[in-house]
Order: sequence, then C-alpha cells, then structure tokens
Amino acid sequence: MSAGQEAREPGEDRAGEYVLGTLTLAERVAFARDLARDPALAQAVRDWERRLGPLSLVAPEIRPGPHVWERIARALPGGAAANDNRVRALTRRLRLWQGGAAAAALAAAGLALVILSPRPERPDGARYVAVVTSGGAAPALLVSIDTATGQAAVRPVAAETPAGHSLQLWYVGTDAVPKPLGLIGADAARLPLPAGARAGEGVFAVSVEPPGGSPTGLPTGPVVYTGKLIRE
Amino acid sequence: MRDDATLERLLDAVAARDEAALRALYDLTAPKLLGVILRIQRDRSAAEDILQDVFLRVWQSAGSYVPEAGRPLSWLCTIARNRAIDAIRRRTEAQGPVHEDGEDWLERLADPHDSEDSILGRDALRACLARLDPAHRDCVVLAYCEGFSREDLAQRFERPVNTIKTWLHRALASLKGCLEAVS
Repeated sequence: MSAGQEAREPGEDRAGEYVLGTLTLAERVAFARDLARDPALAQAVRDWERRLGPLSLVAPEIRPGPHVWERIARALPGGAAANDNRVRALTRRLRLWQGGAAAAALAAAGLALVILSPRPERPDGARYVAVVTSGGAAPALLVSIDTATGQAAVRPVAAETPAGHSLQLWYVGTDAVPKPLGLIGADAARLPLPAGARAGEGVFAVSVEPPGGSPTGLPTGPVVYTGKLIRE
Repeated sequence: MRDDATLERLLDAVAARDEAALRALYDLTAPKLLGVILRIQRDRSAAEDILQDVFLRVWQSAGSYVPEAGRPLSWLCTIARNRAIDAIRRRTEAQGPVHEDGEDWLERLADPHDSEDSILGRDALRACLARLDPAHRDCVVLAYCEGFSREDLAQRFERPVNTIKTWLHRALASLKGCLEAVS
C-alpha cells in the first residue's frame, strides 16, 4: 500500500489504530507529526484513549527493581549536582505552558536533547556517534561543542517544531540567565557560544517560541528539552 | 492512596520540580505502569528501561497534564503504553511467545479488583467488546494489551494483513458506536 493511500485514510481509523498501537512505525511517526498540528486528530486520540483506557488499568501490578528508581534519580537535575538549580529557575520562569498540547505531542514523539562535547585534539576525520536511548527513541538534537572555535554544532535528529512556532536553543550559565543561541531549523547549523559554555559548563534548553524566536530575549514558551554537556 | 486528587497534587508538585513528589508518584504508580509495559515488552530489563524513560518524561512534562486528558493514572498509563509500543515497533526481531489470549484480559475487565477504575467505563467497554465478532475482538484486545502488530495478528489468525486492517477498522467503528450509545 502506497503512502498516498495511507494519507487518504480517515483520521478516525488512523487515530483508533494509533491508540491500539497497530500502525506501522512509518505510519506512527507520520501520525505523531500530524497530531501536533491537528487539534481534531488530537481530540480523536484522546477519545480513543478514554474508551480503551479501562483495558490498561486491568494490567497486573509488578514492582520494579530498586535500580530503576536509582537510575531515574541520577538522571534528575539534582541527581548529579545537587546545587544545580539553573534548569529549575529557568523552568519556574516558564511555567506559562501556553502550548500544552504541542508540548505533550512533542513528549509523545519520543525525544531527548543529547549534548556531546568532542575532544578538540582530533579535528579531522569522520567521527560517528551512537546515542543510546532507552526504548530506541531518537534524540531531539545533537549538540556538539567545539571548544577550539567556541561554536556549537547543532544537528536536529528527531526534534519536531509545533505548527506556527519556532524552537529556540538557550544556554543557561552560572548566572542563571538564559542566553539565546539561535533557532533550530530542519538542517544542521553552527552557532556561536557564550564564553562560559566553552568551558563545558551550564545547561542547554530548547523552548517553543513564536515564529522567529522569543520577542523578549528570554524564553517565553514551554521548555521542551534540556540537556547538559557530557565530556567524551 | 492512589486517588485522583492525590495523583493530581503530585503531578502539580512534579511540574514545579519537586523531586520528592516524583518519588511519591513513582511509589504509587510504577508497579501499575510496569504491568502495562510488561504486557507489551515482555523482556523485563527492556521494560524497566521504558519505565525509567516514562518517569523522566513525566518529570519533563507533568505540567502538560490537564484533567481533560483523562484521569491521572490513565494519563500515566497512556504515556507508558505509547513508549512501549514505540519501542517494539522500532525493533525488528520477533517477540517471544505469547502467554495470554484476548479472552483473559476480557475476564479481567469483569473482575472488580481495581477500585480506581470507573466501573461505568469498564462495564460499558466490556459490554461493547462482547458484541464484537470474537475474532475482531481478540484482534483489538491483543493489539491494545499486548502490542500485537497487524503482521502478528495476520499470523495468529492466518489472514492477510489487509483483512486484519479491515477487521480492526470495523471493530473500532462498532466499538465507538456502541460506547456512544451506552453513555
């Protein structure tokens, strides 16, 4: 069956099969993209989740091993560096979740921000990086920092921009004031870094903004991804 | 207690970056979510990876919970199911042998062991599932509860994939009509 035929299938059937889980991977990814842009589709999905939900709640309870919580706790902002409240401060400032539906759709698409800090002493030759995420979810972005040139190479992988919005990348340094780095487009880009980020410190965050970016110079929309540099 | 009000309060606190609230939410709901995930991803270690991912996702997006999205536990189950389905659809190798069939999950719907579930919604779903053609019903239940793909169902019912797709669409249309008539 061609992609064209799939596209003409009624939204109701696609929404039902999305919730059932029987769409193929390609159909599922395409549907998740449409979902972020089509409120009627999102409503159809919520309706199916509500109708079939009782079948989820009858699942037996199975206690996870203690290592699961330990891994979650380590991954929280306070897990690695207890005093690092920069993301917290940033997020508090952004508690106006005007794009709640869009943010939920992004979360559902299976994304994460991954930041790599490559060693500058190996400038030439192709390098390959495998980002291993649980469940095989693709990361939203790869951000690699070139400490020699003070630039960040931003490569979108699975980041999805909600319709009528832009995604903007921020750097939050020790002063806790977010600094705009640039907009995230469909293609890889190189963005200049503020001084502190060159040392590999601080937090990177991606927020949903009006088209063209935040009009105020500070994030105005929900933060959908955050990440820290991981030294290679 | 795992009532809606408690879970909503915890989600609000998690949205305000309260790690203790995330832990409390985890203690109350992780066993149920792992149960949901393990029906679909039967490898325990992979299922626990998904559970970890679900809670990190909740940490990031608890602020997007709104009561219109359903009851808090249902919202969490939906995230867990979606992550589990995403994971198995991305994988190419076959799942291990199946140990339950659709009939068992239907029986569990009739068993009033889950007080937090609305009796009304559950009874309506059970009644409407019971009206479906048995093979169509099993397709719906095996897909939803155990993550069967159309190909898995085609193999199980020895029918072409397109027939399975037709069955699923028919079953969904009947279910929707029936549930709307009941409510």
